[in-house]
Amino acid sequence: MELLIRVSEGLDRVIVKIGKIAAWAGLALILLTIFDVVTRRFLVLGSTKLQELEWHFHVILFAFCLGYAYLKDAHVRIDLLRENLSERTQWWIEVAGCLLFLLPYCALVVWFGIDFTERSFSNQEISASATGLTHRWIIKSAIPIGFAILALSGIAVLLRKTVELFGPEELRTKVHEIEEAEVEHLVDVVPPELRKPDDGGPR
Amino acid sequence: MDFYIEDYLPLFMFGALGMLLFSGYPVAFVLGGVGLTFGFVGIYFEVFNFIQFFNLLPRIWGGIAENLVLTAIPMFIFMGTMLERSGVAADLLHCLQVLLRRVPGGLALSVTLMGTIMAATTGIIGASVVMMTLLALPVMVQRSYNTPLATGTIAASGTLGILIPPSIMLVIMADLLARSVGNLFVAAIFPGFMLAAFYMFYILVLCGFKPQLAPPLPDEEGPGSTFGIIAMVLKSFIPPLFLVFLVLGSILFGWATPTEAAGVGGAGAIFLALLKGRLNFTILKDVLERSALTGGMLFGIFLGATCFSYVFRALGGDDLVIGLVESLGLGSWGLLLILMGIVFFLGFFFDWIEITLIVLPVFSPIIAELDFGDHVAPLEVTYWFAILLAVNLQTSFLTPPFGFALFYMKGVAPPEVRIQQIYKGIIPFVILQLLGLGLVMAFPDIALWLPRVLLD
Repeated sequence: MELLIRVSEGLDRVIVKIGKIAAWAGLALILLTIFDVVTRRFLVLGSTKLQELEWHFHVILFAFCLGYAYLKDAHVRIDLLRENLSERTQWWIEVAGCLLFLLPYCALVVWFGIDFTERSFSNQEISASATGLTHRWIIKSAIPIGFAILALSGIAVLLRKTVELFGPEELRTKVHEIEEAEVEHLVDVVPPELRKPDDGGPR
Repeated sequence: MDFYIEDYLPLFMFGALGMLLFSGYPVAFVLGGVGLTFGFVGIYFEVFNFIQFFNLLPRIWGGIAENLVLTAIPMFIFMGTMLERSGVAADLLHCLQVLLRRVPGGLALSVTLMGTIMAATTGIIGASVVMMTLLALPVMVQRSYNTPLATGTIAASGTLGILIPPSIMLVIMADLLARSVGNLFVAAIFPGFMLAAFYMFYILVLCGFKPQLAPPLPDEEGPGSTFGIIAMVLKSFIPPLFLVFLVLGSILFGWATPTEAAGVGGAGAIFLALLKGRLNFTILKDVLERSALTGGMLFGIFLGATCFSYVFRALGGDDLVIGLVESLGLGSWGLLLILMGIVFFLGFFFDWIEITLIVLPVFSPIIAELDFGDHVAPLEVTYWFAILLAVNLQTSFLTPPFGFALFYMKGVAPPEVRIQQIYKGIIPFVILQLLGLGLVMAFPDIALWLPRVLLD
């Protein structure tokens, strides 16, 4: 059981790290778009390459953050009935969901995604536009890789739920604490220090 | 007539999806999993082939990845998150409150204005309602505002963001319906402003007659001198307003595509945070990570919905839906009302992300065949439909007892605010919404006039 926790923690660290690095693609995307807009207006540069690079960043951003979002529990759930279920039932649902839905779904996309990328590689696929980017297979590989990361995050969740369902009490609490610490409350958008305006706002 | 169960697989698929979503497992993966499962069921009945799953990849690629329109979404999310996290939004609200302190219902009016200007929040209903509740409700309760009035105003204004451009929902709708994002943005401007005007008119009249519902802010609130007020306006009001106009204007006047405008918006939000002196590495990193999580969530559903709707179609779902609808023997108006009814009902349980991504692909063949004769020109039907859908969804999110904007609000409201008060307060706004919906339905030009004038 200890081992399961350690493995899930290891997976977690790697996946979250990847997600946090990929998040910076968002900044790159914005800077690139601005650069494209400005240069097109004032200089006449071919911007096809830039525009293609823009969606390259978009692909990186979402593909590498799927698993990250699952670990941070940022994926939308329909909570209506869930709240009335016991914790144990919720854990079982999570296990069933991972085994029956998430993992097969990822396996499928990874399987065909590798095929998809390989075809692109062996055809030496390049942009349909003459001035576009080459080596399309590199960015296409982001899809199977992203789904593989998502599958790993599913495995990490699965291991935790196994400990919670079958493990001894103290490990169960430990996992629970780990999970609690990880959840990013997306709706908690206003940090406490900013909830009130600082220039003589209502107190 | 022979009955073959495999002819009805798409219906079972829909039913299974409906039930399994309520398990509380993430929507994105339920969509993908149900798609996959029914693909295998289809293989069993010999109406689907394993190799057909390969088609998912080109679909994901063409529909989601290599798609410059959807590239706008992460940047709009970033812009909204940055404006919130850097406190630009909070300062704007405070500035509006001070400006409107002598007007009846000034606080409520400033909340509505804020909802209209800051429609560029993350676009996730929960997030924007929660933000508005946290920012405005404690102040209103403290000033002994009538609680139902306060909660109603906040919930209605917080959900206005899905309608008023630059709304992420409109980007996605335009993409799914294969229409121009710019046109749809322009079409949404009047209906959105009309609803905001309705809210404000209602608040003004109500508070004019019953001033005790909305005690004004004391005069010593905010800077005392005129100079101080002007400085505050320059500092807190003009910059975000300018940014929103810059983003919208550049689309409106055709200077930039929505994607480029989103980039301008994102960079502008960074710049505003810099002006406030609140930009540092921690905030930037935090905003980027939060935006990435929101984006991962949204595109996760996008990917799952692609899997679901591909299998749904491959099993003959399109024909089944069209066949069912035709067997109802309704005209275009009847169909429109039914579609609206379905969406309204779904809005009780699901956010717009699930609804648009699941329902629009299924219904798009029907929408394409709607014909309203002289009422709406055939080319414009889709835009009109999308606007109706948007207003309808917003109304649905507000309607008790399910409307889930209300649940989000209850979740973060001070404990003394009871759910009954929230229900009571929202009813006038739901009536205003229905009025607005009826008006756009009866007078399509409310939505369609501006794009015609500006873009042709």
